[in-house]
Amino acid sequence: MGIQEQYRSEAAALLSSGEVKLVIGFGPGSTADRRRPLFARTPEEAEKLVLDPACISNLTTYLVAGGLLSDGKKVAIFLKPDGIRSLNILVSECQVKPEQVVIFGYAIENNEIRPLSGRSIGDFAEIGSKIRTATPPPAVQKEAERLEAMSPAERFEFWKEQFSKCIKCYACRQACPMCYCRRCIVDVNQPQWVSTSSHTLGNFEWNLVRAFHLAGRCAACGACDRACPVNIPLRLINYRMGKEVKEAFDYHAGESSDQKPVLASFSQDDPETFIL
Amino acid sequence: MTRILPKNKLDDCIAAWQKAGYSVLAPVQRHDMSSFDEVQKASDMALDLILTERTIKDHFFPQTEPLIKYKISKHDIDSETMTPPDKKRIFFGVRPCDASGLAIDDPLFGWDYKDDYWFRRRNNSVIVTIACAEADDFCMCTSVKLSPDSTKGADVMLRPLASGNGWQIEAVSERGTALLDTVSPLLQESSDQAAPVPQVAEKFDVEKVMEWLADPANFESQFWKDISMRCIGCGSCTFLCPTCHCFDIQDEGDTYQGIRRKNWDSCSFALFTMHTSGHNPRNAQSTRWRQRIMHKFNYYQGKFGVNSCSGCGRCTRQCPVDMGITETLQAITNLPR
Repeated sequence: MGIQEQYRSEAAALLSSGEVKLVIGFGPGSTADRRRPLFARTPEEAEKLVLDPACISNLTTYLVAGGLLSDGKKVAIFLKPDGIRSLNILVSECQVKPEQVVIFGYAIENNEIRPLSGRSIGDFAEIGSKIRTATPPPAVQKEAERLEAMSPAERFEFWKEQFSKCIKCYACRQACPMCYCRRCIVDVNQPQWVSTSSHTLGNFEWNLVRAFHLAGRCAACGACDRACPVNIPLRLINYRMGKEVKEAFDYHAGESSDQKPVLASFSQDDPETFIL
Repeated sequence: MTRILPKNKLDDCIAAWQKAGYSVLAPVQRHDMSSFDEVQKASDMALDLILTERTIKDHFFPQTEPLIKYKISKHDIDSETMTPPDKKRIFFGVRPCDASGLAIDDPLFGWDYKDDYWFRRRNNSVIVTIACAEADDFCMCTSVKLSPDSTKGADVMLRPLASGNGWQIEAVSERGTALLDTVSPLLQESSDQAAPVPQVAEKFDVEKVMEWLADPANFESQFWKDISMRCIGCGSCTFLCPTCHCFDIQDEGDTYQGIRRKNWDSCSFALFTMHTSGHNPRNAQSTRWRQRIMHKFNYYQGKFGVNSCSGCGRCTRQCPVDMGITETLQAITNLPR
C-alpha cells in the first residue's frame, strides 16, 4: 500500500471512530499540477485525500483560523517538516494544544513522498533538531546573498520597487500560520496605528510591521511568498530576520514545542548591545 | 481586404501617438510582475502574455487615490480637491475581458453620483483591445457570455494575423476612429487572414447559476459553508478582479492637516462590514464569499442588467488556496434541482 492509501485509510478510521472531527489534507486542484486544501469530515470524504509531491502548502494556518480547536476536539492534519516546525511554534506560543492534533507527516524528497513516523508532535523531535544545521533552499540563499552584497541605498531601491507592487490584499498574512492575531494591527482603527493606504509608504509600513512581528517566529515555509499575487519575494525578508535572531540569541524558531518564544522571554545571557 | 497594422510599424505608431500628446500604456513584465505600464517602444511590450497579473482597472480606479487635501486652523478649514491628471492615454493590447471589465463598471460609477475620478480617466483613455491568440485553464469568458474576441469596452479592435506579422485593425467607437486617423499612413490594406480565435470551453451555466442565486431559500444553504471552507479571507481575488470596485474612505494625517483618500476595500475582509458596536453581520468567511458571488451574479444584474464578471479567471489563477468563482459556479450548476 502506498502512503497515500495508508493515510487515507487511517484518516477514514479516525473519522469513523470519532477520534478526530476533521482531517485537513489535500485534494485534487483545478488543474493537473495543483492541489488544494481538503477538509474531510466523513470516512467517504477521506477517500478523496491526495498525497503526492505537489502537496506543498503549509496547512497549519487552518489550525488557528476561525476557532477550529476551541471545542477541545481533535483534528488530523497532513504536515511536512516546515508544517511540523510551524506547529512547534504554535504550541510554544500556547495557540494549539498538542494533544488536539494528530499528524500525518510526510517529506518530499527527489520528487517523491516519504512518510514520517509518529502521529503526535512529540514524535517529531528529530525534525526540530535538524533545523539548526539546515541550509535554506539554494535559490533563497543565492538571492539573499545578492541582496546582502548590495549597498544600503541599492537594497532600499530593491525593496521600494518590490513594495510598490503591494496591493495590501493581506494574502501573506492570511496564508501565514503565525499571523493568528484576532485583530491584526492594520485592522485596528480606533485609533488607527498603521495606514491602510496602499501607497509606497503604507506598503513599507505594512510589510515591515509584519516582518518584525515574525522575527524569531517564522518557520520558513514560504506560504506568504507563494500566496503573494504580485510576487514580492517575502521569504527573503523573513530569512533575514531569522538570521538576525539566530546571530543575536542563537535561537532557531520551531526547534521544539517547548522552547520559549525568543522575543517574549528573558535570559541573563541575552546580549545587551543595544544599551549604550 | 482589411486594414492591418504591421508589427514593424508599431514603433512608428507609438511615436505618432506620443507626438499627438498621448501616453501609451501596454502589458509589461517589470520587477517580477506583469501589469499595464507606460512604454516607449514596441519591444517594451509583453504582448504574448495571455493576461497580465494585474488589470487595467488599476489605471482607472487606483488602489489608493487622494481626494481632498485639508488644513484645519484656528478659525478656518482650508480644503483643496485633488483631481487625477488629465493626460490623454492609450491602453494598447488590452485583453477583451479587461476591456469588458471597464464597460461593466461604467454604470456603477455613474449611477446615483457621477464619479469624476473614474470618468475623467475613462474620457481621456482610448482602449485598444487585442483578441486572444491563446487561452489557459482558468479563462472563462465564454461562460459569462463574452468571448476571446469580444469588442465590449473597446475603442479599437486588433486581431492577430495568422502570419504573426501584425494585426487586423478596426475602430469600434468614435474615439477609436479618431485614434486611427492619427496613424492612417502607417496602416495597410491587406487580405492577410486573422489567426483563429482560441476555443474557451464553457465551464458553468450562468443562467442556471443566476436562477439558483435568485431563490431566497438558497441564501442560508449549507452550500456556502462547504464551498468556502478553505477560503483564508485574503483580498487577492477582489483586488485582481477587473470589475470589483468597493472602496473605503480614509483620512490620513494629524489633527490639523491631512489627505482624504479613497482606498480599495474587499468584501473578503472581516473588517469590511464590522460595525462600530463590534457586531458584524457577515461574521463568517462563508457569508463573505456568498456576498461576493451574490453581488456579482445577482445584485449587480438586478441593478444594472449585467453580471459583474468578465471571465478573466484571475480569482482562481492567483488564489493561494485554489478557490475562485469558477469552482463555485460550477458547483451551483451541478447542484441537484
